[in-house]
Amino acid sequence: MSDLLALHDVRKCFERLQAVDGVSLTVPSGKIVGLIGPNGSGKSTLFNVISGNLRADAGRIEFDGHDLTVRSPDQIFHLGLVRSYQDPSLFFRMTVLDNMLVPARSQRGENPALAPVHRTWRKQEKELAAIAGDLLDQVQLRKRYAALAADLSGGQMKLLELGRSLNGAPRLLLLDEPTAGVAPRLAHDIFHQIEGLRQTLGLTFLIIEHRLEVLFEFVDDVYVMHAGRVVAHGTAAEIAANAQVREIYFGE
Amino acid sequence: MSIDFGATAIALLTFFGISAIMALSLNLEYGVAGIPNFGKAMFVSIGAYTLGVTYTRLLLWLVTQPFIDPCDATTLPQALELRIAIIKSLPMTAFLNFGLTLLIAAGIGGVVGYLVSYSALRVKEEWYLGLVLLVGSEVVRILARGYTPLVCGVNGISGIAHPFSWIENRTVATACFAGLVVLMALGVYFYCERLVRSPYGRLLKAMRENDRVTLGLGKRVPRIRAQVMFIGSALAAIAGVLFAVNIGFVSTNDYVVGLTLDVWVMVVLGGVGNNRGVLLGALIVTVLNRITSIMSIWLNGLGSPFEFNYVRYILFALILLWGLRYRRQGLLPEHSQTTVAHDELSLRP
Repeated sequence: MSDLLALHDVRKCFERLQAVDGVSLTVPSGKIVGLIGPNGSGKSTLFNVISGNLRADAGRIEFDGHDLTVRSPDQIFHLGLVRSYQDPSLFFRMTVLDNMLVPARSQRGENPALAPVHRTWRKQEKELAAIAGDLLDQVQLRKRYAALAADLSGGQMKLLELGRSLNGAPRLLLLDEPTAGVAPRLAHDIFHQIEGLRQTLGLTFLIIEHRLEVLFEFVDDVYVMHAGRVVAHGTAAEIAANAQVREIYFGE
Repeated sequence: MSIDFGATAIALLTFFGISAIMALSLNLEYGVAGIPNFGKAMFVSIGAYTLGVTYTRLLLWLVTQPFIDPCDATTLPQALELRIAIIKSLPMTAFLNFGLTLLIAAGIGGVVGYLVSYSALRVKEEWYLGLVLLVGSEVVRILARGYTPLVCGVNGISGIAHPFSWIENRTVATACFAGLVVLMALGVYFYCERLVRSPYGRLLKAMRENDRVTLGLGKRVPRIRAQVMFIGSALAAIAGVLFAVNIGFVSTNDYVVGLTLDVWVMVVLGGVGNNRGVLLGALIVTVLNRITSIMSIWLNGLGSPFEFNYVRYILFALILLWGLRYRRQGLLPEHSQTTVAHDELSLRP
């Protein structure tokens, strides 16, 4: 089993706060890995560093043999690493379908010289629409393709963000709280989707999640962060039984 | 005082066409792509200054005449007569000079827009770029006024005849020019409309909605921003050429912040992101401008000490306040669906 993503001693400091303090972790290909920890433990900062939104102060981040620390977010996307965000970060004043189509790769109509001549890209656009339609089916948003993203419910927004990420043809998905603000039953549905995607498309996931009861049901591996460091690593069962984790997480 | 309604209508149409091009270009930049360009007057002035240079140099070169200094008091009348004489007697040369001016102005405007956008690359907040442009616009104007060889400094360049001036009947001539301007405005409208309703338009909207996420989805945001600034600034420069030809005069005093604000009112009033709404905004602002200036002339003719032109600014301020309070999207809101992709899904439910 090869590691798709490997972090070695990654550090990120804001002013005097060491937000990420020497994190090493691996995400094996085709697995779902959970990243948990209390608020402010550096999980989201770590995601920002991996996805290129923030530059690491030190350490190595390898994705399929490529060093991510020297690449910009758009380059990292093109390598096959797609992320979602903690707050719903849709294109709110655009339709659900337009949201879906933004990440589609190699669009002829995105060339400003060809764009006004619609026949140069119409055929490709229809093909992309069909693909996006199928993905919308999967996330149960097909019927709402023409709605504005701003008009969706919180759960639908999370699903649309997942669908949009999928249309970017990812190999590794970084999901930042995919069930935040979602009804408990829907949270379960979302994780069922994720599990399905892993099996059908062979996708790999690194997921930040606070709903441990849902997360632990689906993950292969869990890392626990606290104050910028990884304090525990193991299977869901091991982490659930870990006394130190219970203490920092639940204050027990 | 009597008003010549035919001439007023023609003048109105011409001003509308020119304003429409400016407003459409700002709508592409701000309404669609989210770039707050507060330097519109500068990009318009680039067209006007280009025109000042081509009408005093290129035109003479085209008819193999030696260069005459258009600014020096001793040679000024001769230079002015000569350029009017050339345009009135040689229609082909007039058109060639006009066409080349449009091309050169669009090129320079576009390149300046592109470079300005890249220079602001390190600036994360796009509203900062807006302020840089607002100030830069005024700086460029003062520099242009100080550098005499460009457009003769504070004196400006007069005697700019439009390319239909060779037509004997003046009404027909100005009507022809108005027709050309309106045709060009329509062309710009259809170009912008097709651009917005394409995957490129979708990309621009995505950038407006959330540039960080757009970057994370593999799009090179700084480059796209520069492309939009290229297109918008080229269009603004074209509008600047038409503007100066229409008033027959190039002066640095015309390209002040007030012009930028007029264009902003057109976009915000008509409908941010909606090209048709922006045309409506341009029409309303042009008509209001015309009414207030006619009222002003009329009142002054009656011996009133009241300067009615200032009422215009009060009016615009009230319209903007009303719009921001009751109609944030403008008179005509943006279309939500961009491309044929939506029809595709509606056909195959």
